[in-house]
Amino acid sequence: MSALNPIQPVAITAYASLCACGMGNGALYRSLLENTSALGGLSLFDLPFSTPVGEISVPLPEIRPELEAYNSRNSRVALAALYYAEDGLRAALHRAKSTYGSGRIGVVIGTSTSGLYETETAYETLLKEQRMPDDFHFLTRHAYQATPRFLQLELGLNGPCYAISTACSSAAKAMAAGQRLIDSGVCDAVLVGGVDTLCRLTLRGFRSLDLISPQRCRPMDKNRRGINIGEAAGLLLLEKRSGSQAPPLAYLLAVGESSDAHHMSTPHPEGRGAALAMTSALQLAGIAAERIDYVNLHATATKINDRVEARAISEVFGDAVPCSGTKGITGHTLGAAGGVEAIVSLLAMRHGFIPGTCGLEEMDDCICQVIREPLPERSLQTVMSNSFGFGGNNASMIFSTKTDG
Amino acid sequence: MDKTIYIKAAALCSPEPGELQAFALEAMPVDKSLLPAALRRRTSLTTKMVVTAALHACDRAQCDAGQLPSVFASVGGEIQVTDALCRTLPDKDALLSPTQFHNSVHNTTAGYWSILNQCQAPATAIAAIDDTFVMGLLEAWAQLQQRPGDLLLVCYDEHWPQYLAPPMGQVALACALVLTSEGRRRLPAISRPEIEAEPEPMDKQLMHFIQRSPAAAAIPLLQALQIPDAAGRITLNISAPRWFTEIHRVAA
Repeated sequence: MSALNPIQPVAITAYASLCACGMGNGALYRSLLENTSALGGLSLFDLPFSTPVGEISVPLPEIRPELEAYNSRNSRVALAALYYAEDGLRAALHRAKSTYGSGRIGVVIGTSTSGLYETETAYETLLKEQRMPDDFHFLTRHAYQATPRFLQLELGLNGPCYAISTACSSAAKAMAAGQRLIDSGVCDAVLVGGVDTLCRLTLRGFRSLDLISPQRCRPMDKNRRGINIGEAAGLLLLEKRSGSQAPPLAYLLAVGESSDAHHMSTPHPEGRGAALAMTSALQLAGIAAERIDYVNLHATATKINDRVEARAISEVFGDAVPCSGTKGITGHTLGAAGGVEAIVSLLAMRHGFIPGTCGLEEMDDCICQVIREPLPERSLQTVMSNSFGFGGNNASMIFSTKTDG
Repeated sequence: MDKTIYIKAAALCSPEPGELQAFALEAMPVDKSLLPAALRRRTSLTTKMVVTAALHACDRAQCDAGQLPSVFASVGGEIQVTDALCRTLPDKDALLSPTQFHNSVHNTTAGYWSILNQCQAPATAIAAIDDTFVMGLLEAWAQLQQRPGDLLLVCYDEHWPQYLAPPMGQVALACALVLTSEGRRRLPAISRPEIEAEPEPMDKQLMHFIQRSPAAAAIPLLQALQIPDAAGRITLNISAPRWFTEIHRVAA
């Protein structure tokens, strides 16, 4: 592989989230501070087993009639995050549109299953009646690119638009793609992040792999029993540094990417892909490992994932860096996880605290420094957030309050 | 023209290679023997088709598949696997196959490709309906600006059940390109994909074929590669806005 040249940081000028914690970054921030779980019962559909989920319970906005073909739970969740005034993402996009022009703004969104939920329901009709229901729209509801395309139409943008779907690293990879589109001059701003919503296939699929915890998940805990699945939108606006009229909230320094080249659903036992993603991120950011003040872990709460990540962290950082995982609060939001956890990292930097690891009671024999309860009054300048997915697909993001980390 | 990228090699694979003859292109049939037995058992026709095209393109480019970053662009990805799982779900108590489940993710082919070649370079999987090929090319172009060297781009789609989005998926096709940031004598060079201000109508036969087989959006570019000294604008998608790239050969 060729050597990695440092990439220029891009500004983050707005971000918005919606997850089981409630509407907006404020709800997520309060849950992080209190270190309380938002995981609970599933009301969307029936399951043949019991597990807590991170279901969004706030009312979702309607899709406007002209875009009815795009009406999926996935797109409505994205719309809710986009329109929540307190987070200011829509206003920032309108400002960016008038500054740069609609053709200079891209949309790159990560998802693992997009609007699969609606398709699952349609298959009940298909099996009974040998035809799809009349309101079935595969390409605009279920297809991976349905939600980014919906957001593009909703916002009246004309730049590049695509979905990235690399399972649980999708949103982090979308951040990487957005940064490259700006760095290479294709776009002046890119709406990035991830959106994923609960569906039967992922819950029953992870169950078939014996990875679903019947109780609230316990990342990095000795007695962890697997993951809980959540749903979320985590959207961020990336902008080129010169020309942005809004003061940046922070910077995306780099996203390191790698492949395990090992197994479709199990990480490499020595964490070689995870370590490579982290070291690549540091190289691309042009900074040393010592500059990272906090690592937001992928920490899904399966034994092998957690142990492999801890091993990779210790290889890259030794035991010097404080780490924590927040999926005990939100659940594992799969293709949206990188977007939500980017926002967790940005909230930690903005408010000066280290999030805890909700659900962690008895520490596993862990070789990295895992923070159990939130640590207030910590000044964080540069933070890393990890996302690792099926297919051995890894991405590590680095954020900073300064352009040089 | 430091932002130009170059095409080292291309290869097409289809279970219906005859369909490509109308466009004077040769596609090879799916070659299952390229995968070792353990991977052959686990992978779908989609993945075998992509591996066939990609390995031939790497072979023609004389590059090491174990070192290549890769971009996999597909509308439906493992659509047949997803369809089979969706047919199981209405039975509330049915157990899903764990292998089928992890084989339903969009980056399944990317994952197996990395395992097959022991390649730890970044691999991504994108989708953009009618713009899937051009967005794949743009992603590849942007990656090469950032990380000079060679890169694999594969655009592909399997046969789709015709109750999903007809006529999409009537012909299965994978198109693999080995791209590079380093220009060499006589290599075809292409510019950054851009939006066409005044698009011309596309040939009807080709348009119809791309509607049935989204990866066929690569056909105009593949046809240009067969013409020595081809130069000019190549259309990269069928929907509005239309995207193009400018092709030329690096002078001797």
